Amino acid sequence: MLKLIQNEWMKLWSKKATWIMAVLLIVILLANAGITKWIESTSPAPESDWQEMATMDMMMYQDQLENSDLGPAQQEYYEGQAAIAEYRLANDAAPFKIESLQQQVLDGHMMLSLVTLFTVIIGAGIVAAEFSQGTIKMLLTRPVKRWKILTSKYITTMLFGLVFAILTFVSIALFSWIFFGTGDGTFLVWNGSEVVEGSYWAEALKLSALSLASTWMIGTFAFMLGTVFRSSSLAIGVSIFLMFVGVQLVFLLQDFEIVKYYLFTHTDLTQFYTGFMPISDITMTMSLIVLAVYFLIFMLISYWTFSKRDVTA
Amino acid sequence: MSNEKIVEIRKLSKTIGKKQIIKDLNLDLHKGEITGFLGPNGAGKTTTIRMMVGLMKPSQGDILIGGKSIRTDFEESIEKVGVIVENPEMYKFMSGYKNLLHFARMHKGVTKARIDEVIQQVGMQNRIKEKVGSYSLGMRQRLGLAQALLNNPEFLILDEPTNGLDPAGIREFRMYLRKVARENDVAIFVSSHLLSEIELLCDRIAIIQNGELIDIKNVNEHQQSRYYIEAKPADQAKQVLEEIGFTVHPHENGYLIDTEAEHIPGAIKLLTAAGVDLYAVQPHRTTLEDQFLEMTGGGEIAQAHTK
Repeated sequence: MLKLIQNEWMKLWSKKATWIMAVLLIVILLANAGITKWIESTSPAPESDWQEMATMDMMMYQDQLENSDLGPAQQEYYEGQAAIAEYRLANDAAPFKIESLQQQVLDGHMMLSLVTLFTVIIGAGIVAAEFSQGTIKMLLTRPVKRWKILTSKYITTMLFGLVFAILTFVSIALFSWIFFGTGDGTFLVWNGSEVVEGSYWAEALKLSALSLASTWMIGTFAFMLGTVFRSSSLAIGVSIFLMFVGVQLVFLLQDFEIVKYYLFTHTDLTQFYTGFMPISDITMTMSLIVLAVYFLIFMLISYWTFSKRDVTA
Repeated sequence: MSNEKIVEIRKLSKTIGKKQIIKDLNLDLHKGEITGFLGPNGAGKTTTIRMMVGLMKPSQGDILIGGKSIRTDFEESIEKVGVIVENPEMYKFMSGYKNLLHFARMHKGVTKARIDEVIQQVGMQNRIKEKVGSYSLGMRQRLGLAQALLNNPEFLILDEPTNGLDPAGIREFRMYLRKVARENDVAIFVSSHLLSEIELLCDRIAIIQNGELIDIKNVNEHQQSRYYIEAKPADQAKQVLEEIGFTVHPHENGYLIDTEAEHIPGAIKLLTAAGVDLYAVQPHRTTLEDQFLEMTGGGEIAQAHTK
């Protein structure tokens, strides 16, 4: 199996397109950091008082807490945020500025949708391309069972996503260090009963790992479409379309019970830690179960079609 | 030729939709023997070959390679098979060497040394580091052969292997296959529609039509000796020949008679004595093409069977 993955990895990086994607990712992140720097230097924000901001935040969070239809995860989030704001004011502990290495790394997980986009392109093409190149005949007439070949391709796709996520993370840290340097401030977390100082690296890593769940699901979906329809353009198109529209559908469906079993209600696992939850009464456990069920369905369809198919082209 | 059975096709059938493409096909292939697989377009050649290499699943029946079933022991049975399906499609964006490395990793025990050996065998050492996209068709065909030989196969399957090769390339390819069959005691199964090619290459020919095996014959099997006689007036010639006791078949502008060489001078004497003018007397050898067309009824596209 290791040799098969080695093969897929070699094919992947022998294609120019893969290198172009890597360069594109780095260029986008560089541009993003550059533009933030440029805006800061041309129109510097008024020396705003963080104390004033924290006071406003605290009031806003407390306002939210009055709101009755909060889910348990949101409840906890707002309580924590309010406590943190209060602590900051009481102990004169400033937060990080946006233009600092620390805050950029903390927000880094939002950039991972780029990784999802590239993973979709790779996952959609990794099986479909073998059919369109005609190399599938050479691949399947080897003493290797089909499910092993498909597994090696799936693992390679996910490995690609992981490598790109690491690349994103490292690039963000590097570029924001070059442009902004490390800022002053403290990172605080609410551990349920009190406010303590936390590691922003650990927090960034946690949020990134949770964000990768959506890369994983949409990547798997694209992989399935590519395997079933043997057309990478179709698989890429449908997956990217769903990536954008799928989330919007959550709002349309929010009054119906079915929304709780809908894939895109659950793909963003960071929602339990950022307070933004379109459907408030779901829990992390429920999301993980729903994602696992979808994953199994996608995998079953992929393996079933790939191993049953008669190769005629 | 050891004549040891390496491939056994048993009651192989394939049904797609309601149409039976292959019907109860039985065939044995032996080590060191080159078997040609002939048939008109749509007869089921490609389908049979694809079932033999695991690209399609048989509806019924089985294929045993080295005694292992392709249905139940796929990996073990296909281990000793080398395949070239039509134009060997390679990864164009990689070098020839990386392509070979890629396929070598999918077999057990193919070492780097073996890869180099195969490259030498097909004479590609000078261009193996270049991208396959820059190769000519002939080069790709050689690379295709190289990948099929990587695992020291005991059985080689080739589907239309000489498609797109020039005459020199075809000749080279043929010599090479003969060498492999003899020296390594490999069984070779070749499908082609180039009859003359098959005749030059193969020891044995299997003919398929409408999904059924209609004949298996050895290429150099003794043929009935026949002579072609052209004479005028034709009717009179026919009469004389029939009086001698020959069976006379009209053929082109004259007649064919089944007879041995020693009877010919006597026949000529009798014909001239009867006042017939002789224009041609020559031995007549039926080519594979004639036989093939005779057997398959003109080689027209197989009719759809919807019984």
